[in-house]
Formats: sequence, C-alpha cells, structure tokens
Amino acid sequence: MKKVKHLALTLASIMLVGSLAACGGNNNAGNNATKENTGNNAASTNAPATEEASAEPAEKVELSFWTLGNVNYEELANEYTKEHPNVTIKIQNTGDQTAHHNNLTTALSAGSGAPDIFQLEIGFMERFISAQDKFYNLNDLGAKDIQANYLDWKWKQASSIDGSFQLGLPTDIGPTVVYYRTDLAEAAGLPSDPEGFSAAIDTWDKFAAVAKAYKDKTGKYFSDLTDLTYNALRDQSEDEIYFSKADGKFIGDTNPQVKKAYDFTVKGIQEGWISNYLLWSPEWGQGMSDGSFAVVMGPAWMAGNIKSNAPDSSGKWKIAQLPEGAGNWGGSFITLPKEGKHPKEAYDFISWLVNKDNQLESFKTKGLMPSIPALYEDPAFVDFKDDFFGGQQTAVEFGKAANRVKPVYYGPLHDQTDTFFKNALKNVIEKKADPAKEWDDAVKQAKTLAERS
Amino acid sequence: MAEPVITSPHAESKRPFLTEQRRSRITAYTFISPFFILFSIFGLYPIFFTFYLSFFKWDALNPMKFVGFKNYDLVTSDPTFWISFTNTLIMGLMGTVPQVMLALLLAVLLHSGMTKFKKTFRILYFMPNITSIVAVTLVFSTLFGNNGMINWMLNGLGLDSVAFNSGWWGVKIAISTMVMWRWTGYNAILFLSGLQSIPMDLYEAARIDGANRRQQLFSITLPLLKPFIIFVSLQSTIGALQLFTEPYVFLGQAGTGSTRQEGITMVTYLYSEAFRNGFFGTAAATAVMLFLVTILFSILNMLISRGAVGDTGGKKA
Repeated sequence: MKKVKHLALTLASIMLVGSLAACGGNNNAGNNATKENTGNNAASTNAPATEEASAEPAEKVELSFWTLGNVNYEELANEYTKEHPNVTIKIQNTGDQTAHHNNLTTALSAGSGAPDIFQLEIGFMERFISAQDKFYNLNDLGAKDIQANYLDWKWKQASSIDGSFQLGLPTDIGPTVVYYRTDLAEAAGLPSDPEGFSAAIDTWDKFAAVAKAYKDKTGKYFSDLTDLTYNALRDQSEDEIYFSKADGKFIGDTNPQVKKAYDFTVKGIQEGWISNYLLWSPEWGQGMSDGSFAVVMGPAWMAGNIKSNAPDSSGKWKIAQLPEGAGNWGGSFITLPKEGKHPKEAYDFISWLVNKDNQLESFKTKGLMPSIPALYEDPAFVDFKDDFFGGQQTAVEFGKAANRVKPVYYGPLHDQTDTFFKNALKNVIEKKADPAKEWDDAVKQAKTLAERS
Repeated sequence: MAEPVITSPHAESKRPFLTEQRRSRITAYTFISPFFILFSIFGLYPIFFTFYLSFFKWDALNPMKFVGFKNYDLVTSDPTFWISFTNTLIMGLMGTVPQVMLALLLAVLLHSGMTKFKKTFRILYFMPNITSIVAVTLVFSTLFGNNGMINWMLNGLGLDSVAFNSGWWGVKIAISTMVMWRWTGYNAILFLSGLQSIPMDLYEAARIDGANRRQQLFSITLPLLKPFIIFVSLQSTIGALQLFTEPYVFLGQAGTGSTRQEGITMVTYLYSEAFRNGFFGTAAATAVMLFLVTILFSILNMLISRGAVGDTGGKKA
C-alpha cells in the first residue's frame, strides 16, 4: 500500500514539474498564435509564394500583428476580416516603444515567438534593417508596384541602400512644424496668422531676432526647450546627420548643420529666449497651458500632446512652417518577420492597411499624418478643420511640411549619439557650462561609442 | 527512477537499493524539483550564458563573433563605465547609510515609545515599498524638476535653484532621496521585528542593576539586533549596487537622459549597452564585473558590520 502511495506521489510530482515546464515554454512563445497555425495549415505553409496570385486563401489563416501606441489598426483589421472571412487577425498593442522593439529582438534572436506582422518605429529602423535575413523582402511580394504612391524619402527609410530590399510599408510620418500661441504673438506685436508668422521667421536668423525681441518685450521665453530647438535644425541636415551613409563613420563633428543646430541653441540659451523645461515633463505641459513660452517646434503628432497637455488653451494655438525647411520625427512601417508562415496573406493585408483610404481614416480618427502625397490635395483631407487650432486647416500645413522634408540617413547609433549633444546643451543651460568644451566632450563621447560598433 | 530494484555493490548488504529512506528522499527531492528545474532554466542558464556572452560581440540579431577579452577591455577603458561605478558607490552610500540609521531610529521609537496606533504606523512604514517605483519616481520628478516644488521652496527661502536634473550633486541627492523614501520604512519593519525578539526580562534585569536607557541601548539592544543589522545592511548594499529604476525613470523622461554622466549607475550603463546600443557582449562583460563587485562589497560589508556592532556590544557572538 505504501509503495503505491509513494509511486503516486512521485508520478504526481513529475507531472507537476512537466506541466510547470510546459507553462514556461508556452508563455515564452506565448504572445502569438503561430503554433496553432503551423498545425492546421501545414499544406499551405510549405509553398506560400507559389500559390495563385491574389485569390482568397482557401484555408483559414490567422495572422498575429503587434502594433505600437495610439493607432486605429484594430478597427481597420476588423473591417478587413469582414471582407476576408478566411483571415483572422490577432492584434497585440504595446504602448512602450522600447519594450515593443526589444520583444521583437528577443523573438527574432530566439527564432520563435515573432508575430506575422510587426509595426516598426523609424527610431528603431537601423537595428533591424541590417538583419535582412530575419524579414521578408516586400519587393518580392509586390511592394515595387505601390512604391510610387508614397513619399519618396519615407519609402527609402525602410529600403536597403541600393533599394533592392524593402523592409516595411510606410504608415504615418512626423513632418516638423512650428506650433505657436496666437494670443502671445499678438500681444508681442507679431503677425498671428500662419502665413504672416511663417514669413516673419522664415530664416533661422530672423527666428532668433524675433525670439530675442519677444523676450525683450514681454520678459517671457520664446522657445519651450533646448531639445526641440536643436532637433528642428538638426533634422534639416543634408542626407546624413551623425553618421556617414557610405561607411557608417561618425561625421557629427564635421556636419555643418549639426554645428549650426548646436550654436543656434546655445545662442538662444545665452540670449535667454529658450526656457529650461525638460521634454515630456509635467511642468513643460503646464507651461503650454499657462503661456510660459510662445512656440513649440515639433512633428505633426505633437499636436496630440499639446491638446492633452493644455486643453484649456484650445483655440489659442496655430501651426506655421519652420524656417528653412522641415524635418521628420517619427512615423512607422509595417514589416513581415520571416517567422510568419503566411507572407502572401499578410502582405495583402498590410498593403490594404496603409492604402490611401485607410491612411485618411487613421488621420481622421487618430491624427496620424499620411505618407501618401496624393492625399495632400484630396478635399477629404485638406478640408479637415481643427477647432483646437482656431479652425485652421491643419492638414494643409502638415502636408506643406511633409513636402519640404529631405531624406536623411540616421545610422544605428543615432539616438545615443544625439543624447550626448542634448546633454551638452542641458549642461550649458543648467550649469552655465562652457559651450565649446561641452561640444568637444560630446564629440569625444560619440567617437568612443562609434569605435565599438 | 528507471530501475526499481538494484542490489548494492557491497556483498554484505542484501538490502534493496530503494530503501524506505531513499524512497522518501527521492519523493522529497521530486517535490522540490520544480524550483530547481525552473531555477536552472531561468536563473542558472542565463548566468552562465552571460559569462559565455561576455567573450563575444553580438547585436542579438546577427551571428555572434568571438572576441576574447576585448569586451572587458572596452568596458574598463570607457570613462563612462568608471563614472557609473563611482556614481553607484556614492549614491549607494548616500542612499543606504543614513537610511539604515533612520530605520533603526524609527523602529526603536515605534517599539518603545508608541503603544497606540502601532499597526497603523507599521502600514505607513511599509507603504512606500509596495508602491510602484515608476510611479514614485514620477512623483519625485515633479518635486525635483527645474521648476518643481523643491526649487520653489528653496527660492522662497532666498536660495538659488538646484539643478536636480543635471547637477553633479543635484542628481545624486534627488535619486538618493527616492531610494531612502522607498526603503527606510521597510527596513524599520525588519528592525522592529528584531527588537520584538529581544526578551523583555533582559531590560528588567538591566534596570534593576541600574543601567540607564543609553546603556541598555548599547549593551542589550544593539548587540542582540546584530543579525538584523547585518542582514539589513547587506541587503541594502546589494540593492544599492543594483540601482536602476530611479535614475532610469528620473533622468530618462525623454528616453535619452538615462545615460547622463551625473546619474548613470552600473546597471543603467549595462542596460543602455544592451538595449539602446545593441552591444550585448560589452553589456555581459559589465554584468560579470558587477557580479564581482557585488561579491566584494558583500564580503566587505559583512566584515565591517560584524566588527562595528561587535565592538559596541560587550558580547561577541
């Protein structure tokens, strides 16, 4: 009797261990449903590319889709699956960019757990574009045919340098503009209509003069913070910013636009018209609402941040063009990791997801700025008026900015390198540090980092 | 488990291999094996993989490349690493030493002085520890902001604003304050449970012998509290060396500030090597060095706290 009891106990504990281990395994691979798919669709998975051209998939296909942030892709996916009953799309949304991309890195390096479809933010593009063997080349699936629909610079951000490999299809973009307070502009005797305001600051020298005059007259700051001021000029670089497109070498110290951006921000600090807020801090948001500064230079999606930070200032804001050109900050791409078993079905879906009608829909519901230039003349897009911005046709202004953006190459260490220069500026404004010495330190740090890659 | 009965190689013993004792041992080990199995998968394997990885260059996507000790070279020759090392030590001292003393004081107060609301105080002490660090840090970020409440108060007193976001000491003061706020109450509860384990008759006997409160504290309370003091300071040391969330969230509001030289710790350095720069090899080398440093400091800590507490008390344990 005792023997039996022991045996039962041992067996039970073995089973317990087994099930626990299984749990671990499942959770690991867990976030998506590729496992279920491989069983059911074994036949169709073997030769996905050789199937018939564009007919409905004969068998049920389930696609997992990792989306990032505030997008309307869930609604669009529901619409798509209504028209394509054999396709189901499982969406998993993450708010945290870094976690979102780190999850994919982990899944790709482990060889399992990646979704069929992945939304990739431009800031993380360089990390993945070098790992071409881990993704489907969208050119093989027909992306070449729709390339002409999209902004050229946006398309190229997700292409290999020779253009043969296309990692993702363009979604929204982040062309940079000037958000300004009309009430403060008027009070300081500046033109308050977008055309007039844009014209008053159409070169950076004019911008600085206007800013200094504003400060002298009102005693208040003109620009909100160092980071965004620096970004506005930095993003107007020609072709490359910190790294050379040809050999990936650090060139930040010789790029005249980087130096210009740095010197311009230093000038603003020294003349006292840039205030000392920290980007994304609650005080910064408070400053928008109580008018501590007159302008915020940022991308199209910054409109959402201004609205949520300063709801009480509705109607007082308008949008104007940046001096000397625009830059681009943010925006994503839809990619297909190679672990996915249904590239054709997935491609059919993503090319639909980012088409003209749906990008317009995403703009209307979530404010995502389309990457399809044809829309910028489309009445449905152009006539959209925003009460927060005093009834301004914001789409027109963003469209204008989008057409002024010149493509730049970032390089894998762009973000980290950028931090060194931002920190230098912060030291100048907060610690009254010597700008020249801070510049040299930033360059030195950037070079040390670049040597490691 | 496969073969039920095996005769022992020793001829004199005719007993079956699976004796009652052995069987119950096997049962026992099987029962606790889930821990060991899970630990070896999620604990041990990553540890050894880290050692292995520290000899390779790897970006987590492309193939690994063996580089020998180059990663250690790169890390030790990086001035930022040494800044992160000294920062960790300075913030460790600033965050733990006053904190452990304050915790002890609070515990003594709670133990002797207060008789009412003891439970309420205990809960209050513990609250900071169970609040999410990220939430705590965000609240403190507002307090320590350039135009935040603390600078506002300083200005009100006629003092200059402190650059808590970028000043060499400003950053450290802000971060250590967050650490202290979080751990003081927790440690006080640990000390309190230690104090409650000291038998009251010792104090009675001391009082009869004419010992005053101070003498009681140094001759009874502290020596008997020694194991708790060692435990708390050891735990705080290890915690201080692993400081990450507070500086990361406090300085990283734009996702960029976390590598600011004034507040970078060894773990933020490690994190940014791996997950921002994509240099997993140097990150692994940093982890190995952090491991060695932690061991070194734990030993030092044991020696110091043993010596210090042992000297104040008359009794050697």
